Amino acid sequence: MSEFLVEAVGLSVRYGSKAAVDDVSFTIPKGRVVGLLGHNGAGKTTLMRALVGLAKPEGKLSVLGLSPRAQRQELLTSVCYIPDVAILPRWARVGELITLMSGLHPKFSAERARALLRRTSVGLNDKVKTLSKGMVVQAHLALVAAIDARLMVLDEPTLGLDVLSRKAFYEMLIDEWCDGERSVLISTHQVEEVEALLSDVLMLNEGKLVLSTSLEDMDRRFVALSHDPAVAEQMAAAHPLLRYRVMGGSAALFDGAPPDSVLALGQRVRPSLVDLFVALTRKPELDRTQF
Amino acid sequence: MPTWNDKFPIYQQLADVLVAGLLDGEPADGEAMPSVRTLASRYLLNPLTVTRALQALGDSGLLENRRGLGHFVTPGARERLKQAERQRFLGEEWPRLRTRLRRLDIGAEHLQWESK
Repeated sequence: MSEFLVEAVGLSVRYGSKAAVDDVSFTIPKGRVVGLLGHNGAGKTTLMRALVGLAKPEGKLSVLGLSPRAQRQELLTSVCYIPDVAILPRWARVGELITLMSGLHPKFSAERARALLRRTSVGLNDKVKTLSKGMVVQAHLALVAAIDARLMVLDEPTLGLDVLSRKAFYEMLIDEWCDGERSVLISTHQVEEVEALLSDVLMLNEGKLVLSTSLEDMDRRFVALSHDPAVAEQMAAAHPLLRYRVMGGSAALFDGAPPDSVLALGQRVRPSLVDLFVALTRKPELDRTQF
Repeated sequence: MPTWNDKFPIYQQLADVLVAGLLDGEPADGEAMPSVRTLASRYLLNPLTVTRALQALGDSGLLENRRGLGHFVTPGARERLKQAERQRFLGEEWPRLRTRLRRLDIGAEHLQWESK
């Protein structure tokens, strides 16, 4: 079997004549936490749906060595997925959901689900409708993380949660899921918050993959320079990807190191994922380079 | 959530945090460092970032990686760190501080040495 959990080559998903995902190629090795970033409508959800066999792709797509459409049943024993529209039945008790999952999924461990839930304030006798939004999402994560799968796909799992619930969610994810073998693909708009959690990032813009890199390579490839506003013109002349404001001055972001003469004008800072996201996915009408 | 600055790579910032712990004797010489997963969830960091930080401390001789057992604080690491920090303070910080104290006319007699 391939060393990659996910391998996509020239993958497209079309709705009518519109390509929601447009000719993207990427791989996800084992043991990674991959962030899928993009504006609303960029194709994140469609891409995730293709990975779990819910959307019909063109091109080559292999997930755990399987074809998500043709071998969906087999695939679903080793992939777990929380869609962006995920709901748990409001009338059910959490303990009943565990019983249900035990009957439905061959690799679900009820014992593990109960252990995961003990981390949270959710009780087995609680009805879903009595839980807060943050607790529902945590219960949901506990249920899918109790599946002995190799890939977890999470579509904006923390949308609408307060900061404490998001923190608890990510703690459980790092603590209980990431073991160096399993991988997770997670889409979110809270770019700043997840940056430190990620090992890799995939960035979609209008269906196209504009960046696919490990965070380690990103630090090496992109150069951010904070500089005095007085040298702004020289910076602009070196064609940065983006110019933005930082505390106490301005900064410019370059793809690859700019000439030494330009490097000498500023101080190198860590390029942040948010800045890169803005630089690579901005729409022409939102162009912020001129300020 | 912990905040990381934009000046240095995150693994380096975590290494600095861990070094500060070692200086305080946490963990003490010869003792085991917390596991990668423990640190990852404590600081909400990707485990690979944590591994890089531990490797960096290993490269500078502060930690030993015992295969399968994890990272341990090298005997004498704390003392070496303390010496290095002392030198840095006396060489870099103290001259700046001294200049500032002189400018403010603060002498030894104005300084409270006993912490309350």
